Amino acid sequence: MSQTVSGPVLYVAARSATGSDWGNAARLIGVFTLLAIAAFPFYWMFVTSLTPSAQLFSARPNFIPNFGEIGTYSESFTKIPVKTWLLNSLIVASGTTFLSLAIALFPAYALSRFEFKGRGLLGVVMFATQMLPEAMLVVPLYAIFGQLYLLNTLTGLILANTAFTVPVVVWILKGAIDAVPLEIEEAAHIDGCSQFNIVRFVVLPLIAPTLAAAAVIAFFHGWNEYVFAQTLVSSESLRTASVGLAGFVGELSTPIHTVMSIAVIYAVPAVVFYLMVQRYVVAGMTAGGVKG
Amino acid sequence: MATDQRLASRWTPYLFIAPVSLYLLLFQGLPLAQELFLSFTSTSLLSPSQHVFVGIDNYRDLFSTSDFYNTLWITGLYTVACVVLAIGIGLAAALMLDAPFTGRAVARALVTIPWAAPPVAVALIFTWIFNAQYGVFNYAQRLLGIQAFENWLDSPSHALPAVLFTTIWQIFPFASVVILSALQGVSTELREAAIIDGAGRIAVFRAVVWPTIRPSVLLLALFVTIWSLRRFDLIWLLTQGGPIGATNTLVVELYRRAFVYRDLGLAAAVGMVGLAIALIVTFFYFRLNQRADAAAKGR
Repeated sequence: MSQTVSGPVLYVAARSATGSDWGNAARLIGVFTLLAIAAFPFYWMFVTSLTPSAQLFSARPNFIPNFGEIGTYSESFTKIPVKTWLLNSLIVASGTTFLSLAIALFPAYALSRFEFKGRGLLGVVMFATQMLPEAMLVVPLYAIFGQLYLLNTLTGLILANTAFTVPVVVWILKGAIDAVPLEIEEAAHIDGCSQFNIVRFVVLPLIAPTLAAAAVIAFFHGWNEYVFAQTLVSSESLRTASVGLAGFVGELSTPIHTVMSIAVIYAVPAVVFYLMVQRYVVAGMTAGGVKG
Repeated sequence: MATDQRLASRWTPYLFIAPVSLYLLLFQGLPLAQELFLSFTSTSLLSPSQHVFVGIDNYRDLFSTSDFYNTLWITGLYTVACVVLAIGIGLAAALMLDAPFTGRAVARALVTIPWAAPPVAVALIFTWIFNAQYGVFNYAQRLLGIQAFENWLDSPSHALPAVLFTTIWQIFPFASVVILSALQGVSTELREAAIIDGAGRIAVFRAVVWPTIRPSVLLLALFVTIWSLRRFDLIWLLTQGGPIGATNTLVVELYRRAFVYRDLGLAAAVGMVGLAIALIVTFFYFRLNQRADAAAKGR
């Protein structure tokens, strides 16, 4: 008896012992390589922003940031309207976030809780929006915005971006509402709470973490968006950071370390912000995505 | 009271979805309809409200040039490579990050960083990394003893690999996050039972892990496909579709037709072809899924 049990168990133990030594070493190398590849371009952006021009154009690249060059950053702010760009991006991103959440909450609830005619159609339409490239819709949107006096306004950008974030936000929120137990709502129903108030005061607080995740995703979309900001806005004072930064591509008069310093200023808040709420973003996204 | 309640519940769903429906109709439906209309007209960007109806001439023009077949080919190549490589690398990353080890939480967070980076910043830094003379990519190649000195983004043979490298760097974290989450659903007992039965790593993966994560991976493949078909900013800023069309995907072609050649009709036709491809892919995905579901039930 003991023979038959200890046989396989010992075998497994031995296997996993040798297997795990090699496995761990291989995994460590794998994870390390992965992290190096994921992080290097950011590190490189940072190093480049802190390297004097002369050293940038040498046969051997400089791999260590030179903090004596930190003045590049304040120079970028004085020579280039970076502050205006960032402020415009912030307005567009915040507006997109706010509007997306405001529009998405109730349809997300309806898709999660109600059976109604057209429910399937709404789902299909939401999914279909994922197929439409911004670069395609920007031409007719330009004409529509012209008639609505929305051309060359940040409001226009917020409205255009929201059209692309709303379906994603609805999807994520629906996933979270699916997980809210019906009993909680029924209790509120019995207490005479209206459907509208149930969503606002009972469901909303319960899905707060997912709401945060959805907010981050919408914010990023607005912060990163390029095509609309490039096409629907022409004033320099309304330029967003994505458009301002894209203007440096192929342009040679601005020193590379200056360009990279602006890229760092533009990318780092997004990345730090993302890392802070990363757990919720991942949970929210996969809740919507995995359930299909 | 009872009737009130029933009335309320009959109309409430429509009340709840009305704003979003109107919104999407105005900002997605209407422009899409106009774009479809434009594709049958000759319209210039300079006078966008003057249309000359030309029937299917735009489509005929597109399919009569070899350039357009090149664009279709590049789009297909780019999309398939994105799906295979992003999901392949994402799967490998997810499997590595699934097992416990010290610092796993930090590693999981750090790996997802590329996905959070703004595409415009990504395009800028990779343009510099791929720089022919001073780029660190070529420097690394020299260190490794590979003498090939390449002008990556300006070379017809190397531009697409460089654009793909950048794209996959940006999107593989998304794949790994989704797969990692799906891996949490793999039954530990089944996995252990398989190991006790003497199954090797690969056999365990095929018998236990893959069936569990398969639906998520397939859905992921659909999303990566659709997103790759519509990706614009990264490609446009890295190469503008060049050199000589080496990275010219449908969306880049659309943008150039509209804003460089100012031909809105032809641009719209390019967009419709891209949309048709996305719809066909989606259709086959759902057919495949249905069949797999039916097979699973039949078993």
